[in-house]
Parts: sequence; structure tokens; C-alpha cells
Amino acid sequence: MATKSENHARGEKKPPVKIRINGSWHEFEPGRDIEPEMTLSYLLREKLGFTGLKVACDEGACGACTVLMDGKAVLSCMKLAAEADGHEILTIEGLPEDDPVIQAFAKQCEPGYGTALQCGFCTPGFVMTAKALLNENPKPTPGEIKEGLSGNICRCGCYSGIARAVLHASEDAPKGGKP
Amino acid sequence: MSTPPRPYTPRTARKFIGAYRPRIDALEKAAGKVEFVDDLTLKSRFPGMLYAKVMRSPYAHARIISIDASKAEQLPGVKAVLTCKDPEVSSLKPTSAGWTDGVDTVSYERMMWRHFRDRRVLGDHACWATDEVGAVVAAESEQIAEEALKLIKVEWEVLPFVLDPMEAMKPGAPVIHPEIAPRNILPKDTVGGKDIFVDKGDADKGFAKAEVVVEATSVHHNATQASLDNWCCLVDWKSDKLTVMSNSYEADQTRMHISQMLDLPINKVRVISSYVGGQFGRGDTGDQPFFLFTALLSRKTGRPVKFRHNRRESFHDSRQPAIYTGKAGALKDGTITSLHFKGIGNSGAYADHTMFALKFAPTEITEVALAHIPNVRMETYGVYTNKLPACMMRGVGNSQFNLIFGHVVDMLAEKLGMDPIDLALKNFGHEWGGLPDKSLSAVLREGAKRIGWAAKRHKPGAGPVLDRVKKRGVGFSFHPAWHAEWQEARRGEIRIRITLNPDCSVVLDAPTVETGTGSNTCNVLGCAEALGFLGIGPGDIVWPHTVDTETSLKDCVQTDSAVSYLQSEVMAHAAREIRKQLLEKAAKLMKAKPEDLDIADGRVYRKAAPGKSMTVKDVFMRGDMLPLVVEMGRPPNGEKTGVPYIANFAEVEVDTSTGRVQVLKLVVLNDCGTVMYASGAEAQQIGGQVIGVGEALTEEIIYDEATGVPLNFNWIDYKIPTIADMPDIDPALLEVWRGAGEYGACGIGEGTVTCTPRAVLNAIYNAIGVRIDDIPVKPEKVLRALGKA
Repeated sequence: MATKSENHARGEKKPPVKIRINGSWHEFEPGRDIEPEMTLSYLLREKLGFTGLKVACDEGACGACTVLMDGKAVLSCMKLAAEADGHEILTIEGLPEDDPVIQAFAKQCEPGYGTALQCGFCTPGFVMTAKALLNENPKPTPGEIKEGLSGNICRCGCYSGIARAVLHASEDAPKGGKP
Repeated sequence: MSTPPRPYTPRTARKFIGAYRPRIDALEKAAGKVEFVDDLTLKSRFPGMLYAKVMRSPYAHARIISIDASKAEQLPGVKAVLTCKDPEVSSLKPTSAGWTDGVDTVSYERMMWRHFRDRRVLGDHACWATDEVGAVVAAESEQIAEEALKLIKVEWEVLPFVLDPMEAMKPGAPVIHPEIAPRNILPKDTVGGKDIFVDKGDADKGFAKAEVVVEATSVHHNATQASLDNWCCLVDWKSDKLTVMSNSYEADQTRMHISQMLDLPINKVRVISSYVGGQFGRGDTGDQPFFLFTALLSRKTGRPVKFRHNRRESFHDSRQPAIYTGKAGALKDGTITSLHFKGIGNSGAYADHTMFALKFAPTEITEVALAHIPNVRMETYGVYTNKLPACMMRGVGNSQFNLIFGHVVDMLAEKLGMDPIDLALKNFGHEWGGLPDKSLSAVLREGAKRIGWAAKRHKPGAGPVLDRVKKRGVGFSFHPAWHAEWQEARRGEIRIRITLNPDCSVVLDAPTVETGTGSNTCNVLGCAEALGFLGIGPGDIVWPHTVDTETSLKDCVQTDSAVSYLQSEVMAHAAREIRKQLLEKAAKLMKAKPEDLDIADGRVYRKAAPGKSMTVKDVFMRGDMLPLVVEMGRPPNGEKTGVPYIANFAEVEVDTSTGRVQVLKLVVLNDCGTVMYASGAEAQQIGGQVIGVGEALTEEIIYDEATGVPLNFNWIDYKIPTIADMPDIDPALLEVWRGAGEYGACGIGEGTVTCTPRAVLNAIYNAIGVRIDDIPVKPEKVLRALGKA
């Protein structure tokens, strides 16, 4: 069986890249819709308009571009779009507004911890990172929450409120079920 | 959190103001639905859009001798190239990125730092490595634009450079802007004043009278604002009209800047600002030269052009670094007789707001906190170097000053054998109040209680040793808050418009660019409070988040943390006018005199017979159905009320074997006058600590001394604290002082970063008994101080 690159060498058309995004399969034609060096964040934002994820550092240092790939958090600025071929991507647009994590971030105003967001630029990244954390560990301890969110930067500094929101989201989760 | 939270108790019970509640935009933001300028300017929304990229200097100091862009122009996809030699660029006036500090809108002639117009829009003189100079390209994609820049042939005259302000002041040092500062030292100007800009009493005599004198040094390096939302603008210049979308936090000033620099009538420039992903003083105001070259590219191509910084390029501005020396003299009883502070600021390549940080802010501090000290001298020298320009950042000037102020207070107290809390209360207040100052007393006593001062404070370095190598200590620093209403007089009128619809829903035009500070929620709470007689709540009020200079009133700029209350003060007055007009409407329907009627809980009733009433809705629905619109402008209340105080208390643990400092706990105290929105105020108190702790321990821009090239313009090597790096933070909101006006509030957000580095440094000294004078306190500095490295 010929490899993809051999097919390419013979001038055969490359098969499309297929990515399931927020529940729907999308096909991207190499050379037209997608380039080898294109990052997943670029494809999602600039080509498809999923602007919930943000590109703030573009080098994997801040977590603002976090999306879920097969339920796990990935930094979409550090992932090539082609690497998502055959995988399932979830962006914040794919979450319902009554998602417990979104709700917990929105509602946090428990005295002593401030709000869980201010400018809101980093928030989608934190929400998606928290989703992945709770997927893996539905009842994290405060220490595990800190560890799990330590790849994200909030310059407005709402870390106390964020930690509280994630804790509340985990409390709202049904026992043993996905939050 | 180790201590259970202690919600504040409002001094005056109110219905909405001061509440613990979510932000008005919380759900939209949590769901990722708010759109920032980079989101609003996708190519799919502007199909003809081009992308601009600007050439950056590879040298710390250089001049362009010749430039040849012919190859770049031929690259497929390139639509326009402009160079510094093109007349439409070279004919632009010299400018500054410090036209205004944002409090007021100013013209070219009235710009705040008009003595220092040292910037060219795309000039030929590169004054720091990565300076935006030489040429700019518009192309179909950012990649093509970048490729094109590489094809531009530049002949550089590489010039000698200087990074250190002390070196830059020496004779023979490379001179950066000879026409403004022949020895690199910024001359006196009408706004900042002369080198010795405060000279109260006789400082020398005051020191001669003193029985105890201390001298200290503090060094503040340049941290950067690090907004996540990189600078971005789209300019569409069609026929004679120019439209700009940007994440500048000042729409009106951006419009004035563009109008005056490009010689366009004001009504031919439209500026639109939507949500901004964090401000922190970034880029000062709307006076960035890139707006202008992006505009010229749009005119040349007839297409919308987008210019945005990447993360590296967003290291575009920084906190003004300052080397301060401070001297304090006192009598043995703790009465301070004299203070002398001397600052040397590294302005970097352009002056911008250097003197705001170095002279303007300390002058304000003198006016309030040092009012009871008989002899005070302050002098400062802003020095050009070939580093990143340094100007506004959250806590501008105050953060640098607090680092030395809190230092001499701590040292003097130690030498006097006094508790620094007692020393502070004995000497510091404000001009319009006596001693001890009630506000300062309240923040320091509350802070001491919450950190466990009495139990944890010990003699320097004399605390218990944990795990054989770890030592703990506590420290604090305090500062006068800014800005009370009287300090905002320069803003002129604050304008708002309330539209009351026939169904009692409200549209509140209280324009200010939404940068996350929480003032939008303060506005809505203030409006609901003022219109309480209508029986409505915050949910009945719509606050448009977009500022559009074509349709909005002038925006109240997000500076001084003052928008949170300034607009609400005007609303209180506007609500009285609404009540009056409603009563007039109702009087006709109820066949009564307006003065015989009143309104409560959404009903208009006869004072003599409260049972005879009609709802406000009915007043409209049975009447003319015309929305009631009240537009009102009021200048800030100028009554001199002094200012309240803020303080931070810190507990640290120092590992004496590795030099690592861990902040265990921070207590952040703000006397707010009136808490406008408790959850937002706490978010500012807690949030400010990320910058405060970052500046204290990790954040610093590092240069290659051999080339002058900055080495860490990225977020891997420029270390911003994450959730895992932050300590427990205990926010304490107090209402002790009171300003003028309906609420008598004071801005708090900006100052929350100000006391953190000094509180941490004083705590480190308490832990290890050795002082470290410069921040960030990296482990090697601790080990050096301990004689271990």
C-alpha cells in the first residue's frame, strides 16, 4: 500500500482532513482549506470563525487557546490542524449555556474570592481546561484544581474566583458522572 | 483559603450599590460569546481586508541611510509598501505616545508631554531593538507581509547604544534624542516641573534637627502590562471617511489623535471600541503611531487594513523603571522631621509618560500623604536609553514610589525601636485631616489583625526556623489611594444619558470602553439605585458595551479606577430630573399639580391620598408613549476631601538554602469610601496581586548587554504568576473615609498592585534579617544577600 507522501509524489490528490468539530464533521482539502503548517487555532478562528478560543501568546504559554480533543485539553496554538485529522474537537461554542462549568464561572461572587472573570479574554481557555480536568477527575481537591489550571494565565488575576468556580462546578456534578 | 472570608458591612444600607453579585457580562464572558476586536475583524467579516506588518529594528540604536522596497512591492500578494522616505509618511508631525493620561481628551497643541515630541510615525531613527521603523507593508496575508519585509533592503548606520541610565547620564554617552535632551536627561517641562519638583520647608534643616536618620535605595525594573488581548486595529479609509476598530481604551482621544495627525475633520473619523481583553495602562491611550501608518495603507489601497501585534510585539510598553534613594529623619519619639527622595528613571527610547510616573504621581502623594511632614524634597531625573519605552502601567508612579517609601518607613521604625504601624499613624494623613488619620488607622489595624501581626512579627531574622532552612516573616506597606472625585477635575464633564422606555425598561448610555474593570456593573447598579423609585432592578437596564464616536456620548476613560463611581454620581442627578419630568407627565393625567405627587416602587401617587395612584408604565401607556430621555453632564465635585488609604500585609517563607521566596498570604486592604460593587472590588483587590507578586518576585525584561536586544519577549521566559504561584489572598473592603457627592467613593483597582512588592520585601527582611533592595527578588538575589552566592 502506498503511503500518503508517495501518493503525493505521483501527483495524486491528498485525501481530505476530516475533523469533527462540536459534533459535526468538517472536511478540509489540503492546499485549499488547510496547509501543513497551519495551526489548529488558526483553522478554528480565522477559517471557521470559532472565536471563543483566543490566541494570546501563540506559543503554548497561556492556555487561552485551549480546546478539547477527544475530551482532553489541548493548546490549539501548539497543535497543527492536520494533527486533528480523525479526531473530535470541542470548542466553547460547543458547550450549552447551561453547562455547569460555564454557569459556575458566570455565577461566582462568593464573598472573599471575587469574580471568576473580569475582562473575559482568558475565560474560554480556563473553562475548557476546567472541563478537561473535571472529565478526568470529577471531584478534584483545591490542590488538584490549582495544578490542573496552572497552564493558564489570567492577567486580571481572578485565580481565587476561578478556583472557587471549578470547585462549585465539581460539587454540582452528579456523582461519578461527567460534569 | 486558610481564613474564612469576612464580607464587609456597608456603612449605608442600599438596595443595589455595594452588592456581592455577578458582573453584568458574566454569562456572556463565561460562555465565550463576547467579541474582542481581533474577533470582530476576521477576514470573513471584511472580505477585502489586507494585513499590515511593520519593519522592526534589529539594532538597539541605528539610523536608516537608504531603503529599497522594490523587491517587496513585486512579491505576489503585496498591495502596498510605505517607507519612511515617502512624503505622506515623512511629512507627518513629530509626536508622542503620551498625548494624555486619558483623564481628558487633548489636542496636539495641548498634549500633556508636548515638550517631549520625540516619536516619528515610521521614522528612520531606531531607538531600541524592535522599534517600529522604516517600512510597513499591506498584503493579502500576514505571512506574505512578513516575507515582503524580508525583501526590503535597508542600509543601516549602526549607532552606539546605552541601556543603563547611570551610564547614559555620563559625558560621552550615546545621545538618543539630542534635540530634546542633549545629555539624555529630560529637561524640565511645564507639567512635570523642574528636577527638584517638590521643595517644602527646608529638608536640610529638617535632617539637622533629626535625632535618627536612615537612608535607603530601591530599584524597580520594567515589568510589562501583559494584556492577553494584543494591540489590534482595523482601519477602513473609504473616500473621505476613516473608520477605526481597535482595542484602545479611549475612543474619543483616538479620534482626536487621528484627526489631528492626518488633518481630517473630527466627524470624518469614526472610532469603535468593543470589549478589550485587559488594559493595565497598556500603551497609554489612543495615541499610538501604528493607527496612522495603518490608515495610510488603507488610503493607498482603498481596502480595510488590519494591524495587530503578536505576543513578542506586544512587549511595546512597560512600567517606568526607577532607581530611588530615600532619606528620612525623625526625633526619637518618631516625629518625622524631614524626607528626601531622589529618583532616576529609565525612560527607555521615548519619553511618553515618563514624567507622569516620576514627577506627577509623587507630587500628588506629597499633597496628601506627606501633608504633615514639615520638610520634603523630591527630585527626579528621567533618562533616555535604548530600552523599551516605559510609561503607564497599573499603579503608575505610585508603585515605584511605594517601593522606597515603605522601605524608609520600615527602616526608620526599626532604628527608632517602634512598630512601623505606630510610626505610620504618627506621621501620615492628608492635608485636610488631622493625625492619626482615621482611614490609615483602620486599614493598618485591620491588616494587622488579619495577618496576625502581633504574633508573627519578630525581630529581623529572629523567627523560628522550619525544616532546618526555611524562615518566615511578615511585613506591610501602605499608600494613599487615588483617585477621589476632586482629583478627577481635569476630566471636565462626565456625560451620561438615561432613556426610560414606556415599559419602564432602561437604556443607560454611560460610555466607557469595557476593559474588565467592573465599572460597567457599577454603572448598572448605580443606575438601578438612582432609579429605585421606579421599582426596577439591574436586570431592567441595558448598558451598551460598544463605544462608537459617531453615536455614543464621549467616553469616560478607564483611568484612575474612577469610572466605577464618576458616572454613578451623574446618574444620581439625572434620576432627579427623570423623577421631575415623570411627575409633570403624570400630573396631566392625574389632573393634579406635580408638587402634590410623588413616586415610589413604580407608582405615582398623591401625597395627600397615597391610595390614589397609577403605575409609571400607565403614565406612559395612557399618555404619549414617548420614551423619557435625560442627558446630563457634570464635572467631578471639586470639594477637597483628602483621600483614603490602602495597604497590603504579606507573610512570606524564604528557603535560605535555595533562595526561593514563597508568599504564603496577602491581606489586601482598601478604604473605598463607598463600595460600589463588592464582588468587582474584591476581584480587583485579588486580581491586582498577580501583577504585584509578579513584579515582586519574577517579572523582569532581560536584555543582552552586548547587543541591547531584549531576550524574553515571550511568556515562557517572562514569568507571569499562574494560579499555582499565588498565595491565599484575603481582600478587605472598608468604608471609613468619605468623599464628596452622593456616594463619596474612591477608585481602588489601580492601587491594589502598588503596595505588594514593598510588603513582600519588608516581610522578606523580617524573615531573613537582610534587606534586598531591588525587585524582582529572584533566588540568586536572596542567596547573594545571605552571602551564599
